[in-house]
Amino acid sequence: MSRTVALRWTRFAAVHLRDLLILLLGLTTLLFFLLRLAGDPAVVIAGADASAEQLAEVRAAYGLDRPAWQQYASYVARLARFDLGESLISARPALHAVLEVLPATLTLAGLGMAATLAIAVPLGAWLGAHWPTPARRATASLLFFLQGVPGFVIALVLVQWLAIRLGMLPALGFGGPSTWLLPMLSLAGFLAPRLARVIATNVAQAMSEDYIRTARASGAGPREVLFGHALPNALLGATALAGTQLAFLVSGVVVIEFIFAWPGVGWLLIESTRTLDFPVVQAVALVVGTLVFTLNTVVDALLLKLDPRLSAAGSQV
Amino acid sequence: MSVPLVRGLRRGLGRRLRGGLELSLGLGLAGLMAVLIPLRDQVRSAEPSRIDLHDRFAPPGTAGHWLGTDHLGRDLWSRVLEGLGWSLGCALAATATALAIGSLLGLLAAERPGALRTVVRQTSSLVMAFPGLVVAICVMAVLGQGFWPLVLTLGLLTWPVFARVVFAEASGILARDYVLAARLTGASAVSILRGHVLPAVGPTLFVVGAFHFGEMLIAESALSFLGIGAPVGVATWGNMLADSRQYLFNAPWMLAVPAGAIVLAVLAANLTGDGLGMRLRIPVRREALQ
Repeated sequence: MSRTVALRWTRFAAVHLRDLLILLLGLTTLLFFLLRLAGDPAVVIAGADASAEQLAEVRAAYGLDRPAWQQYASYVARLARFDLGESLISARPALHAVLEVLPATLTLAGLGMAATLAIAVPLGAWLGAHWPTPARRATASLLFFLQGVPGFVIALVLVQWLAIRLGMLPALGFGGPSTWLLPMLSLAGFLAPRLARVIATNVAQAMSEDYIRTARASGAGPREVLFGHALPNALLGATALAGTQLAFLVSGVVVIEFIFAWPGVGWLLIESTRTLDFPVVQAVALVVGTLVFTLNTVVDALLLKLDPRLSAAGSQV
Repeated sequence: MSVPLVRGLRRGLGRRLRGGLELSLGLGLAGLMAVLIPLRDQVRSAEPSRIDLHDRFAPPGTAGHWLGTDHLGRDLWSRVLEGLGWSLGCALAATATALAIGSLLGLLAAERPGALRTVVRQTSSLVMAFPGLVVAICVMAVLGQGFWPLVLTLGLLTWPVFARVVFAEASGILARDYVLAARLTGASAVSILRGHVLPAVGPTLFVVGAFHFGEMLIAESALSFLGIGAPVGVATWGNMLADSRQYLFNAPWMLAVPAGAIVLAVLAANLTGDGLGMRLRIPVRREALQ
């Protein structure tokens, strides 16, 4: 038994490692050819107002005078050594610039996810547990409405509301807890409606399953039925949707960092696209791609561990 | 291609009248906006880009500017109308691009097992693993701002949604006995796809497409808001929101007007998708991307 379990996890790791390599290769290839498709990469790198000597210098430094396939090969070879080039602005390694701001982003994402769960799980359980009453209908409609409000609109409205109603301008940047509140609420305001709706649907579905009737028949009270039986199963289903939620989380984080001047990866990305600091832009794409992929893999592994049906079905890819 | 799609939709619509409220609200809103696009020159109250520094920050309800003016004295109602065409057009074109590529590849993968199917599946899961907005920002940074770069970026990054749906539905149908019967009587692959697969896949495509349209609208306005979507100065909802950031305290209507427009448009798309899904009894799993 333990050998088959070990084998399954080895296969799981191998498959996901392969997919990560494919993802990174895909991303870098896309960015490589994009830069060349868009015109002379030397102009993009050196800036539109660069002199002829500067252009020649950049071409020599980046090997742009060689044929495209040679450039691509050496580019991939450098990437394999984690050499993502240097920032054109600060002349520091691009990867360092990204890793330096990563903790701020992870903090924001973690805070946002925690707030989202704190709102969405109880709300979803309440909505899905019983037959729709007027209050539940109204809440469900409100959630449906909020689902269509983009995260940055929620953030702007929160800032506005604080500024006008409470007469205080929100603290910007990444400091103490006072700077955490608004970005966290903005993220949760964006993510929680979606998650709550999924959980509500799953709970409602679970409530009509046979095992709930069995639990009821064997004397479980409504509270035990909901929290002991229906909700765990519904959450399992919601975890399976976490991949799409993570994509939302990342895009939400990017925009919200921009609004609140939160010095994270998203903020760095926007700043570097403004200054056309292409090595940093590329490093951000690769780091974020790896991050999202890793989180997804963790979710997959959790599911495989938590859901006996999946491990009984063998390896899932 | 369009005829079997419509036939399938009509067959589905006739079945049961569920989700009627959502559908009529959504289609009503969408219809209203669609009517306003060609009529925008008639119903607007001023030239959308006309700067009038005497009329800066006029609040809503001011004579001649019923939704107020912005920091340059430009009429917000006219600018929202101008942005309506831009934003809806962009979201529609991006959805159409994704739908066309996705359904074509999905149908091909379902029809032809083997190497082609593997390539389509691998490519679609690769593109789905991309951190969408981040890649979109990178691509837009290189391609530069504009309508078609935006449409192509969004379309090319989101087609796997449609490819997956079409592939799943189409392979289910291609395995049916009546398709086998059609094949045995000598029907060509194209006529099977046209006659059997598309009508069955059509309704689902409409539902997924409606939700996708809403996502594309949000993505477009987010990118414009970040300053890398629509060209600076063009009246789009995202650009208007970006303008409003400086004046949240003095002129809250500069935020409220474009924000309301975006929310209404996304709501119209989501209501249509939800109502259509309920009426056609399609289990909608929102595979959202942005």
